[in-house]
Amino acid sequence: MFKRGWEALETLADFLQFVRRAARVQFLRVPPRAQFLEQAVQSGVGSMGLVTVLILFGAMGLTVQGFTSFQRVGGQSVLGAFVGIGGVRELYPVLTGVIVGARVGANFAASLANRQISEQVEALEVMGIDPFHYLVAPRLWALTLTLPLLCAYAIFVGLAASYFAAVHQLGMNSGNFLNQLSQFVGFSDLAAGVLKGVVFGWLVAVIACFFGYRSRKRDGAEGVGIATNKAIVISSVTCIVVNMFISAIMYT
Amino acid sequence: MNVLWCVFTGPRYWGELVRMMDVLARRCLIPVGLAVAPVGAVISLQGVEAFREFGAEGMLSPMLGTSVFRQYSPMLASVMVAAQAGSSISARIGTMKVRGQIDALAVMSVDPVRYVVVPGLIACIVVTPLLNVITTILGLASGWLFAVPIGGINHGIFMANLFAEITPMDLWVGLGKCMVFGGAVGIIAGYLGLRTTGGAEGVGRAANNTVVATILLITLADYALGLLLLALQI
Repeated sequence: MFKRGWEALETLADFLQFVRRAARVQFLRVPPRAQFLEQAVQSGVGSMGLVTVLILFGAMGLTVQGFTSFQRVGGQSVLGAFVGIGGVRELYPVLTGVIVGARVGANFAASLANRQISEQVEALEVMGIDPFHYLVAPRLWALTLTLPLLCAYAIFVGLAASYFAAVHQLGMNSGNFLNQLSQFVGFSDLAAGVLKGVVFGWLVAVIACFFGYRSRKRDGAEGVGIATNKAIVISSVTCIVVNMFISAIMYT
Repeated sequence: MNVLWCVFTGPRYWGELVRMMDVLARRCLIPVGLAVAPVGAVISLQGVEAFREFGAEGMLSPMLGTSVFRQYSPMLASVMVAAQAGSSISARIGTMKVRGQIDALAVMSVDPVRYVVVPGLIACIVVTPLLNVITTILGLASGWLFAVPIGGINHGIFMANLFAEITPMDLWVGLGKCMVFGGAVGIIAGYLGLRTTGGAEGVGRAANNTVVATILLITLADYALGLLLLALQI
């Protein structure tokens, strides 16, 4: 137990050093353009289909579930508020962060780990290229800039899906639902969602890059699996926990 | 299909099964708890404000209770099990496959499906509901923390409404969902893990695809189950 705690502390210290180095490279130097564009397209456009499907069903599920809960206490009329608050402010940004962490973050971790175990990172260093500048910074920028856009997109898809579920499937009054929704959800919530997207994007990217970058040649194929696994788990937990803090600060 | 046949017939590898369950439960506990506890807190946080405007603060705890019991706890617990257990199972099977250990098992006339996939599957089905019990309690506790001491709702009202509205059915619904989702995690992880090709990169890809596919499937199944329960009026 003690040993595991010590290891966790060591990992944290490594992580903070990694963050310092990565942030310095990320913000002080312009990342290589071609790499950045490639990563941005892959992580942004590549995740759109996934986010659409996930949020579509997540939102419809949320609506149906909310309806069932409220039916019992006889408060179906507040469904609009429930969907607005629960979905737009909390669920859609978090779901987007988690699924993008699972897809893109894991991809970052796997590709960096793969480069480490096949000694491509050392090769870069030998050629006098800073691997942080060439490999890490474009990935950080790509996810930090695309995740907020995906969050905004997710909010729109989610609202459309829950409108569809509430009005067409559960037979709610359309005017009543929209009225409630507009009462609780405004432009500021969209902005909050986008802000959460920026924070989640940077955190997911930096966590994934850290675990990918940390694997060594002796870990072999297993190391890639471990790096991917840790990147997914820790980035999704971080998204959920950080979301709580952001909400606590913004809405109280 | 082959996997299903193997689940119900012998020979079984009990040692492997127990080991898997032990590993899964220990590895998943902390991530799952960390994922669900903030959700209860957030529901309370947002709910206190919203219900105060309607003057219906008493409705908070039934809403918190039903949504944690039926929806968030099972769903998030299984998403985290997918992230932690699913990716590690498929990475492990993928590593074995890449190294030729799966073929070695087959040569020793040990069916790899029985030896590596089935224990993972059963372990997921058993462990997910167990974790769900813990996370439900955690979710409610953190919800209570944000509603009563921080949100200023009366403790007695909160508890009374909570227990008045929660039925045993809620618990069974949550546990049932968990078993379905856990099964989905195990089977997808096994399938994608066994299909791994192409070295270390393939292992990463298998782990990644498992998580994405499972989260999608969980959301889909959650929606379908929600509709089904609504239709049955449970």
